[in-house]
Order: sequence, then structure tokens, then C-alpha cells
Amino acid sequence: MSKIEDLEFPYCQDVNKYEKLAKIGQGTFGEVFKARDRKTKTLVALKKVLMENEKEGFPITALREIKILQLLKNENVVNLIEICRSKATPYNRFKSTFYLVFEFCEHDLAGLLSNSNVKFTLGEIKKVMQQLLNGLYYIHSNKVLHRDMKAANILITKSGQLKLADFGLARAFSINNKGQPMRYTNRVVTLWYRPPELLLGERDYGPAIDMWGAGCIMAEMWTRSPIMQGDTEQRQLQLITQLCGSITTKVWPDVEKYELYTKMELPKDQKRKVKDRLKAYIKDQYALDLLDKLLTLDPTKRIDGDRALDHDFFWTDPRPCELGKMLSQHTMSMFEYLAPPRRRGAGPHQQQPVAKPAASMDQHFDRIF
Amino acid sequence: MAGNFWQSSHYQQWILDRQDLTRERQIDLKVLTEEEYQKLMIFYANLIQSLGEQLKVRQQVIATATVYFKRFYARNSLRCIDPLLMAPTCIFLASKVEEFGVISNSRLISTFQTVLKTKFQHAFQQEFPYRVNHVHECEFFLLEMMDCSLVLYHPYRPLTQYIADLGQEELLPLSWRIINDSLRTDVCLLYPPYLIALACLHMACVIQGKDCKTWFAELSVDMDKILEITRHILALYDLCKSFDEKKEISTLLNRMPKPKTSPSRPPSQGPNGDGQESQSRQ
Repeated sequence: MSKIEDLEFPYCQDVNKYEKLAKIGQGTFGEVFKARDRKTKTLVALKKVLMENEKEGFPITALREIKILQLLKNENVVNLIEICRSKATPYNRFKSTFYLVFEFCEHDLAGLLSNSNVKFTLGEIKKVMQQLLNGLYYIHSNKVLHRDMKAANILITKSGQLKLADFGLARAFSINNKGQPMRYTNRVVTLWYRPPELLLGERDYGPAIDMWGAGCIMAEMWTRSPIMQGDTEQRQLQLITQLCGSITTKVWPDVEKYELYTKMELPKDQKRKVKDRLKAYIKDQYALDLLDKLLTLDPTKRIDGDRALDHDFFWTDPRPCELGKMLSQHTMSMFEYLAPPRRRGAGPHQQQPVAKPAASMDQHFDRIF
Repeated sequence: MAGNFWQSSHYQQWILDRQDLTRERQIDLKVLTEEEYQKLMIFYANLIQSLGEQLKVRQQVIATATVYFKRFYARNSLRCIDPLLMAPTCIFLASKVEEFGVISNSRLISTFQTVLKTKFQHAFQQEFPYRVNHVHECEFFLLEMMDCSLVLYHPYRPLTQYIADLGQEELLPLSWRIINDSLRTDVCLLYPPYLIALACLHMACVIQGKDCKTWFAELSVDMDKILEITRHILALYDLCKSFDEKKEISTLLNRMPKPKTSPSRPPSQGPNGDGQESQSRQ
């Protein structure tokens, strides 16, 4: 009679239909591989679902990513093609593994920015930001927060199409209209991209947290490395204050509600220097103005996706221009995971691989064409 | 999370037709009559409801768990995986998917044991034979079989919208309860949730003597479908009248097709010993 391991569950396909080519990253809940469909030869990215915390069964982060990505279909959001599994065999103790199968993107933004040979023109930077904000506008209108904005989670195809990726920390949110504050965890977002409200302990947050991250990434398009690299939450707030000015009730009337605000010693009388400090890198006035609006301390005043897309930055010359031509000069895949560590090395919330011996340096970039 | 029902896996993969269901149930229907099969399904839906209530999860979680359970057995025989294991597994998964949080392993098992002892003693005299690792394994099979189609649409939300539009708040409690009851039929596998909501609302109107004919007439929906759903639910009420669970369930459970081995045991590790295992292989 049929035993469970003999039963056929024909709904998830066997991951063996793909041939693994190389490991290209480490996601929130598992390894990522580049792979090729054996039949169609299409390239894909396979994200393995790690069953580390055995207590919770199938990880809730993976469930969220699956459920959210099955819902979100947009040109600026990474496309989940299907879910595959490995066959249960005696070798894996009859435990099959799940894989999320994504369309393959050649680069991530952190990888591109860490390579000094990759140069973006102003028009190309506009295109990157326009696509990024468009993706955020789309997910936010679908009531989803990304919660892990950072350059490494922004994928770019070789033709220059940008995709928001890694929804392992994402979750649905509801507009709070019953007066009941939401209680989401505030232990989200990689520290360097974490907005001041989360650092102050906010649990009833919204889309504005992703807009802060978009601001950090935008500045990085010129500075080429993350602009505020704190190593503790306190230090991160200090760095924010040094750039965006002191946190006061004058710029952020509501801020007194945070217990941490009254407890924490933060630099006082700091002037806001967003434009001043960044004009050494950024000549365009519109760019500085948009950046200033994205890096607004008070989340209720921070610009949202819709208004950011209407900003003059995108509607004045030079206009946003396609990235495909510039990227076609680079025939190597660039991922942060494969690149040598950027300045200052690993942040507290991201594990970067230990630098490998120079002899294997050229393998860090994996040939794609 | 908003999402669009018409683009969802719920609509595209999981609205089945009657023939599908009958065909997939052939193996079980060789042993059980259609009516007996329905009674078992009612029984397990009650079990899921009781467990959910005892764990104090929202009705949304219970509804999702019940539909997961029905989806699994819409595609598999009852003998594939013991429904007694599938029931808590569905609650466990649904609680995560519906963002109710992860129910701790020990709480899930101990609560289920309590529910079985206090409310279902007449059906199960023995201790709950499964442990947490069985639940986790079962969760895998459930996910696989559903092709990870996790997001469900329930009739509750459309119902509240229709009632607001109709402006007759007093219809809400009864229609809501009829929707809960509808989870004991196949309608959630056969019809989109907005139609189920309308059918339940329609029934509530008739029962409470509200005349909503013009409102329904202006909807331009297929009233035949609504009547089909109504017939399913009325058939359930008829069946329940003649179903004495306490008396009948033991016999039904005995006759139900069962797995030969419990789910998690690879061939050589079964506590029943190797001999028996290898015999059943030959």
C-alpha cells in the first residue's frame, strides 16, 4: 500500500529541472544560486528555504515572501516564477527542500556601486531612482512594506531593468483607522538604512520607512558607499543627527512620544546639512532637493512614492535614460556577495563573506555571457 | 494586503468543478458512501473549529485552516495522511499565513490533546499519537500539495461590504454564522467567495423576513449560482439533522481508509519493526 514517500505530489516541480551553476548570495532565510533550466536554458535564481529554526516549522519569513510575491506582479518587483522542491530520498532523511525560483538578474546595485569601472551618468541615476520609486509606489499601494531596503536588495538586469528583491522581511500592513496602534517589530531594516523612527522604537510604522532607505540608496548612487555606517543603534542616530540635524519637537512635533527620545543623549543644536554635505558629490540641485525630502526626520513629513515620482528631478534635463547601453560594457555579473567588501567591511546586520585569497579574486565575478 | 481575487491562485487554480471533486474522491467512495464522506468532513471541520477556538485564534485563521484541509483531501484520499494529523497542521500553517503569529509547538500539541479529551472523547479513546515533527512534516506535504497557494479569500469581507451597501446591519450576525456553516460543505472549493457571501446573505434575508429583492435584482449576478450554493448549505442542514455524531462517528472512523504507516517513518525506522515494513513492501 502507499507509503507517504511513494505518494506523488505533482504540484511542485522537482528542482532537478534546473542545473545549479554558482552560489550568488545569502538571503534572509537561505542561500541563493544561479541556475539554468535544463530544457529551456533560461537562467534563474534559486533561493533555498533554510529550515534552521525547526521550532516554527516552515519559516514564516518564507511564507511571507511566497505569499507577497505571488500577489505582487510588477516590472520593478522581482518575479517569482514558481516553487520547486527536491525529492525526498534516504540521503536527506526523506525531507525535501523547498526552493523559490526567480527570474535571473545579472547585477545588484551594491555590486555595481562597488565596481569603480561602472560609471553612471546623471540620466542613468535618474532611471535607477525612477524605477526604484516606481517599485516602492507599487508595493505600498498594495499594502506591503519591504522593510529591508538596501543596495544589495536592488537587482538590475543586464538590460537595465530594476527589480526590488528579497521580501524575506516584508509584510502586509493595514492603514490604522480604528485608533488601535499597530505593534509590528521594529527590529527590521539593515542598520545603515534604518530610519530614525525605528531607531527610536516606533512599532506603528508605515511606508515612510522604505522611503528613508530609498534616500540612503539615492545618495549612495554618487558617494558609492553607504552614507551612514553606524555600528550600534545609538551611533546610527548620532550619524543621522549629524547629517539631518538635531531631532527636536520643532522639526518633528510628535517625537516626544518615544521613551527613547527622552532617555537618549543625542547631539543638540546640530544644523541640517543634507544639501551642504552632499553637494561635494552631487551637483544637480533637483537631486539634492529630492534627497533632502527623502531624508526627512519626521516620517509624517517624509515624501511618499507618488510625490517623489512627480519631483522635478525626473522631469528636467537630462531626462532619465536607459541603462542597457552602459551595462552592456560590463560582461561580468556583479553581486555584492561576490564582490570584495566595500569600505569599512561588514555592517552589524549583514554578513559579508570573508575576503578570499587574491588568487581566486577573478572568480568573484562570474561570467554571464 | 489587498491583492486581486481574479488574479489569485485561489481563483485561477483552486475553484474546482463538481466532476473534479467526484473523480478525486473515487478511492474513498469505494469504501464510504457520499453521505458518510460528508459526515466525516463535517466532523473534521468541527475538530478544526474547536481547536481554533481553544487556541483563541481569529475566525479568519480557522476558516483558512478549514479550506486548506479541504484542499488537501480534494486532491488526495483520506488514507494518504491521517486527517487527525492534518487538522492541527492546517491550524498551525494558517496561523502563520494569516499573521496571527507562530503557535508554539508544545501549545499546539497540548491544546489539541485537551480538545480531544474534553470534546471528542466519544471519537478518540486513545492519546493523540503524533508529535511535533509529524506536524512539521505534514506541513511540508500540505504546502507542496497546494503548490504553495497560500492566500485565500473568504466570504466575510465581501459580506461586510454588501451589508454596508444594503444598510441592514441586523443581517450581519446570521449571515456570518451561515458562512461559518458553509465551511462544512464543498462550496469553498467550488464557488468564488463573493458568491458565497451573497448566498448566505440571501438566506439570512429569507430567514429574517427582509425583502431585499430589488437590491439583489440590481446586482446583475448569476442568481442560479446563488441558488446552487444555497442548496449545498440547505443539504448540510438536512444532513446535520439526521447526523448523531456521538453515536455514529466511531463506526465511521473505523471504516475510513487509513494510511498503512504513519507519515514520518522512513522504511527502516518504524517502531513497528522492520519485518512488517518489508512485508508491506513486497
